[in-house]
Amino acid sequence: MTRRIVYVLLIVAMTTMLGATATAQDDMEIYVLGVALPFTGSFGTFGQDFERGIDLAVAQMNGELEAAGSAIRFETASADTEQTPEGAARALQTIVQTTGAQVVVGPLTTSEVLGAKQFADENGVIIVAMASSGPAASIPGDNIFRVIYPPDTFSSKAFASIALERGHQNMVVLYVDDPFGNGMNEQFIKNYQASGGGEVASFGYAPQSTELSAEAAAVSAALAGFGEDAGFFCVCFPGAAEAFVQVSQIDPILTSVQWLGNEAMTSDEMLADPGHAQTLANADFVTVSQSADSTPLTPIFHADFVAMFDKEPGIFTNYAFDAANIAMLTMLAAGNDGAAVKSMLPFISNHYIGTAVQAFLDENGDQAIASYGIRQVAEDGSGFVLIGSYDGNTDTITYK
Amino acid sequence: MGDNLPPALLTTSLVNTIQIGSLYALMALGITLTFSVMKLPNFAHAEYATAGAYAALIVSLSGVLNPLVIMIAAFVVGALSALISHLAVFKPLERRDVSFYTLILASFAVGLIIRYILFTMADYFNLFDLRIAIPLRVLFREGTLILSNLFAWVVPTSLVLVFILTLLLNRSPLGREMRALANNVNLARVIGIPVERVKNYTWLLVGGLAGVAGALWGLQTAVHPLMGWGAIISVFAAAILGGLSSFSGTILGAYVVAFSENTVILFLNVNYGVDLAYKPAIPFIIIIVVLLFRPQGLTKLIRRAGDLGR
Repeated sequence: MTRRIVYVLLIVAMTTMLGATATAQDDMEIYVLGVALPFTGSFGTFGQDFERGIDLAVAQMNGELEAAGSAIRFETASADTEQTPEGAARALQTIVQTTGAQVVVGPLTTSEVLGAKQFADENGVIIVAMASSGPAASIPGDNIFRVIYPPDTFSSKAFASIALERGHQNMVVLYVDDPFGNGMNEQFIKNYQASGGGEVASFGYAPQSTELSAEAAAVSAALAGFGEDAGFFCVCFPGAAEAFVQVSQIDPILTSVQWLGNEAMTSDEMLADPGHAQTLANADFVTVSQSADSTPLTPIFHADFVAMFDKEPGIFTNYAFDAANIAMLTMLAAGNDGAAVKSMLPFISNHYIGTAVQAFLDENGDQAIASYGIRQVAEDGSGFVLIGSYDGNTDTITYK
Repeated sequence: MGDNLPPALLTTSLVNTIQIGSLYALMALGITLTFSVMKLPNFAHAEYATAGAYAALIVSLSGVLNPLVIMIAAFVVGALSALISHLAVFKPLERRDVSFYTLILASFAVGLIIRYILFTMADYFNLFDLRIAIPLRVLFREGTLILSNLFAWVVPTSLVLVFILTLLLNRSPLGREMRALANNVNLARVIGIPVERVKNYTWLLVGGLAGVAGALWGLQTAVHPLMGWGAIISVFAAAILGGLSSFSGTILGAYVVAFSENTVILFLNVNYGVDLAYKPAIPFIIIIVVLLFRPQGLTKLIRRAGDLGR
């Protein structure tokens, strides 16, 4: 008899507990944060690392919401953009149609962002991109916000100024033939020639190419045609950058001129190869990339990331973390509604101090604070040394 | 063409043609062999090359810089990848007598599986865009002609392997058995040829060649899980130019594709302003033109060279 009473009490207690849990879950309001990134393709490693940064931001936000007694929780819904514009459009469509997400963090590159743009604009979905910088996506009034990395209209000026300071009378550009590369190439030519630079010979390469022998031969021939005062500017994606340096190592022209290059050329993988490191050192290679100065949040992000994933965050992973935080803070303020988020996001963004940079948006919804570091390969090729800075807002280069 | 292409550019592009054409040939021969003996246009072939490249990379990163050891490691891993995919997927499907198209789809699936196993491994060990650690240096320089140690490795290795393969197919008992399978598998079985064993050897050979090609390709570019897949269209174009049945046709096809991608595109760029970004379109154009106008490839032009199955 006693045992029966105990069983009944247990059942009643469990039912009560389950009921309470169910009630608590029913009361929860779930906001879905879409994540559209390239999980496959040559940028797959970036996509996976960025997703970890977003997962960390969501976990921290949910922890704080729980501690504050809020009924709102965030969940992520991810889809692979396959590093193509079509893939990005499909990813956005999949996320929105399967989860009803109104805000999507990503995609990575400008071509992917532009691929997803039409669907986002037509369906009131807000894109919060963390690394896209191609000028082609600087469009006022659309649903794209590029909250961390400033558009290349700034960095292209810095590259043009450095080329002229180095005395390059003419330039040869190798660029990836996509909206990012095309934009950088066009802006560079415009700024370089407007400031007194001479002729520019440009060669595009297909984004999927990783064997660039023909391109290296063409660049070398163009440099030879220009003579000693010419310089070379490489606007390449990772993978192609390593492949280009690889085939350039034995070219007498390419190894005798000075190089400029985008930040994809500054990967650890590049300098891991002694031949590549020496080639870039001999070329006095200089790059311009957004200043990632330390804020009070930087070491905290780093420690939290390592604690959660037991690995170091990759390059720019904190940008994804920051973009996710801006998106979530805006949703908390404006609700889970695309139109409201679109209206509110610039205000939230402009009051957000991230793990690397202050976010502040211009009329196109792009990062307006354009503060860059200028880095050069050390003479022994052991690493990149900060040699100066570029303030895009005042168009001023300052060397250390 | 030389009148319109600066001499330095022409020389460099021709050196590149020979170097890259040799790599294409090594990979394309495996496709031709698989198609001839197994009747399968194997789209997983690219992944055997990538697996071989990763084997070579890992061996070189471990400090072993002997090119021969690196190539042997690449051959073994490429060969095992091919054999495992045959035993695990293609052989069971053949037993079920599935259609030709099912086998093609299966080869895509096998390729995807291997590729993403490599992706997972590369992500875990951070092995993206690294180069096999054999330093590149100039061996010969005369005027505009520059030959590197890479050229000295790639071209002779490819030619020697092609020669050995030709000898193997034409002069060895295994080669005769392979040719018998290529002709008529049922007849080969009736006359007592151990069909399954010959197929296993064929897969080992095909995968091994692809593995070595991958290792050499990894010296040319950077090793990445998509490395082989990035070259597969050019390689298939070479094999299709060879009619998918002729070794000599395939080798010629490989050099034609490499010539188009390295010399013709530069000629078009210099003289007509055609953007180099159109380079990846060249193998597609070759495939379409060949399939439309000469589906038998170049075989009839070089009939005297060692055709399989004749």
